[in-house]
Amino acid sequence: MDNWIVFMMLGASIILGSIALFAFLWALKSGQFDDEEKFLNAVKFDGEEELNDAVKQEEKKKRLKKRL
Amino acid sequence: MIVDGKHYFCCNGCQGVFHLLRDEGLISFYDKAGTTTLTPPTQQYEDSSNFNSSTFYDKFVKTNSDGFCEASLIIEGIHCSACVWLNEKALHKMEGVIDANINFTNNKAIVVWADNVVKLSAIIDMIRAIGYNAFPYDASIQEAKANKERKDYYLRMAVAIFGSMNIMWIAVAQYAGYFSGITQDIKTMLNIAEGILATPVLFYSGWIFFKSAYYGMKTKVVNMDILVATGALSTYLYSIYITIMHVGEAYFDSVSMIITFVLIGKFLEILSKKNAIDALDIIGNNFPSIVNILQGNKIISCKLSDVLVGDVVVVSSGEKVLLDGEIIKGNGSFDESNLTGENEPIYKSKGDSVVSGTTSIDADIHFRATKDFAHSTLSNLVALLDTAINKKPKIQQMANKLSESFSSVILSFSVITFFIWWLWPHTFEVSFMVAISVIVIACPCALALATPVATLVGLSLGAKRGILFKEAAQLETMAKVDTLVLDKTGTITMGKPEVVKEHIYEEFDIKLLYSLVKSSNHPVAKGVFKFLTQNKEKLDEVIFDDFVQVPACGITATFEDKKFFGGNFKLMQENNITIEFSSDNTLFYFAFNGKVVAIYELSDKIKEDAKQVVESLVKRGIKTIMLTGDNRFSAKKVADEVGISEFMYEQTPKDKANFIDTLHKKGKTVVMVGDGVNDILALASADIGIVMGSGSDIAIDVSDVILLNNSLKSLEDAFKISRTTYSLIKQNLAISLLYNAITIPLAMGGFVIPLVSAISMSVSSLLVVGNSMRIRYKWNKG
Repeated sequence: MDNWIVFMMLGASIILGSIALFAFLWALKSGQFDDEEKFLNAVKFDGEEELNDAVKQEEKKKRLKKRL
Repeated sequence: MIVDGKHYFCCNGCQGVFHLLRDEGLISFYDKAGTTTLTPPTQQYEDSSNFNSSTFYDKFVKTNSDGFCEASLIIEGIHCSACVWLNEKALHKMEGVIDANINFTNNKAIVVWADNVVKLSAIIDMIRAIGYNAFPYDASIQEAKANKERKDYYLRMAVAIFGSMNIMWIAVAQYAGYFSGITQDIKTMLNIAEGILATPVLFYSGWIFFKSAYYGMKTKVVNMDILVATGALSTYLYSIYITIMHVGEAYFDSVSMIITFVLIGKFLEILSKKNAIDALDIIGNNFPSIVNILQGNKIISCKLSDVLVGDVVVVSSGEKVLLDGEIIKGNGSFDESNLTGENEPIYKSKGDSVVSGTTSIDADIHFRATKDFAHSTLSNLVALLDTAINKKPKIQQMANKLSESFSSVILSFSVITFFIWWLWPHTFEVSFMVAISVIVIACPCALALATPVATLVGLSLGAKRGILFKEAAQLETMAKVDTLVLDKTGTITMGKPEVVKEHIYEEFDIKLLYSLVKSSNHPVAKGVFKFLTQNKEKLDEVIFDDFVQVPACGITATFEDKKFFGGNFKLMQENNITIEFSSDNTLFYFAFNGKVVAIYELSDKIKEDAKQVVESLVKRGIKTIMLTGDNRFSAKKVADEVGISEFMYEQTPKDKANFIDTLHKKGKTVVMVGDGVNDILALASADIGIVMGSGSDIAIDVSDVILLNNSLKSLEDAFKISRTTYSLIKQNLAISLLYNAITIPLAMGGFVIPLVSAISMSVSSLLVVGNSMRIRYKWNKG
């Protein structure tokens, strides 16, 4: 076994691992794990309706901001 | 049962909610809720319009960076995730609500809305309409800080755990190589990989240790963080040196493990603090103080601080008196137990003075303010609090004391080891490595975990029994307590009169008495009402033709042309009803047709378990003393009944605090248990202040421990838990010290290889955690 194989494997796994770590840190920072119970239950309430609702909410925010 | 098309409802409330949800298109809530049984929304709420007052907005509503309004609410009645979904959806559908985010774990919500479109009262009305209740709370700086701190620790821990776990699998190759041979090339490569992973762990996750070490050095205190920081940093630098020079063994795994373990210990402490804050916000439920004052002929609401001397303040029955003054119109009874500890309501009429902090029972009065809020009795007490809190003795925690000397000893050991090895001719590398291994092996992982793990177990044991410790360190202080001071009213006794004896002279319809006492606010009537609901059946309400509350006397009412009287001796006398009955207890007479048909004897009952708890605490060697604002006679009666030999009577709030100070001067460690405003000074000056969950807001604020279920049994439990936890901390510290006593000489002798140090570090930490869990099992069984 050549040394470079060990080097490559080490490098690749650390990089892949760090990508996962950064994704996790981003999720933590954006508050997705603030409420563990809600996070676990969120799967049950996920669908087209929820997406539409989120979009409507964004639109409403923009509209109301203009009126401020 | 109500039938509505295909649907069946238990009550109008549920039907109303169903129609509302159907109109809003939120009907899928019922599918989401599944088999959860919902509580019918039958409760009536007071008018929500006062949520729109400017006083209210000042205190609870913030403007966020986008210019929208934002408030923190606590939602009551949430029991499943479908409830969270429903509340969020219902609010989102409201025009003007920008965002509603509800936390399921602690039922706290943050609502953002455009105030020019919708008002806060409308939002709260919506939550009430769908069957929940909401009240705003002050999302204090304290909470925001705790949340931020917790998140910060989460991030640092994620990095630390990621780094350590990955270093561990690389270390497996290192250790295998150590025993079976490995080429220097591969070894260097593994070292570099470990070094890359250890860097963020040391400098990002470990940053808090460097910071705290810096502050420690500034104040010239050798704290444990200095040991962690210097140990980790020197090991890290040494390992880089090894990697570059291609000699010896690198210790990157130790670097990340030290940081990770100690970080976990710190995180556990923060977690327990955050849980306490959540629980406190929920019992808080306090609204800002709005006062109604008379201006011309109109009654207007204004801020407490805006009331001037000479303004006329209007107080209706059931309201709190927030200012001192003199009554100019009206009369009635006041509950002053909060200030004086005396149970009996006090009758006041025109010309009498009213005191802030008391509550009107049945009085509708106008009074002229004689002092503004800043000089009122209530504010004076609060001002005295600051001095009382400063006087509180600080008992230094054992673990802190220990870790301070431990850190200095280890650091000097390491320096000595280095010089001995260097002067006993060895190369610089070898002597430095041995010196480092002393720090690594003595790494305070187990020591750092010893206290937080034990206190966390203690706090969760307490939480299950309704005992809330505000700070983890108080467990340790409480274990050292030798004197217990109890307040009488509301602590040993129920604080409310209860029926102890019933005399019935003539048969009568119980419905009439039930309806008579039901609508009265007076504590005696309430006591009778409670007795009836608990002991009688078939209690229907009748509608009286005429219903009058006679202040400080009782109630008169007319039903089917008969006149009924319920009240005290004075009421009977005034209506020419003769009575031949006397007793030490408070009496409630019920009469009609000019004859007394029933007499109820009431007294402030002693809590059921009081005697047994006092007995068992005395057996534990805790000196128990009772303080009360009440007179000698009733103090002695209660003290005798519970078995307390030492008691003080007619104590003012200041007397109580002074009494605790004298105990301190005698070298005692004191726990004070109380509930009212009259106890706050004493609660604040005691080493540990314990308050009943039903106590007044100020009392809860200044106390260290809160007994949520108001029972004295939990007081006993609190003592037991704190003592168990304390012995647990001692055991844990002994384990980690014993471990160090064995391994440090080995390390100084140079017998420790990296593998051994890594394994022994984990084993000692596991021992400490395992020992803490053992107590938990023991408690759950017993």
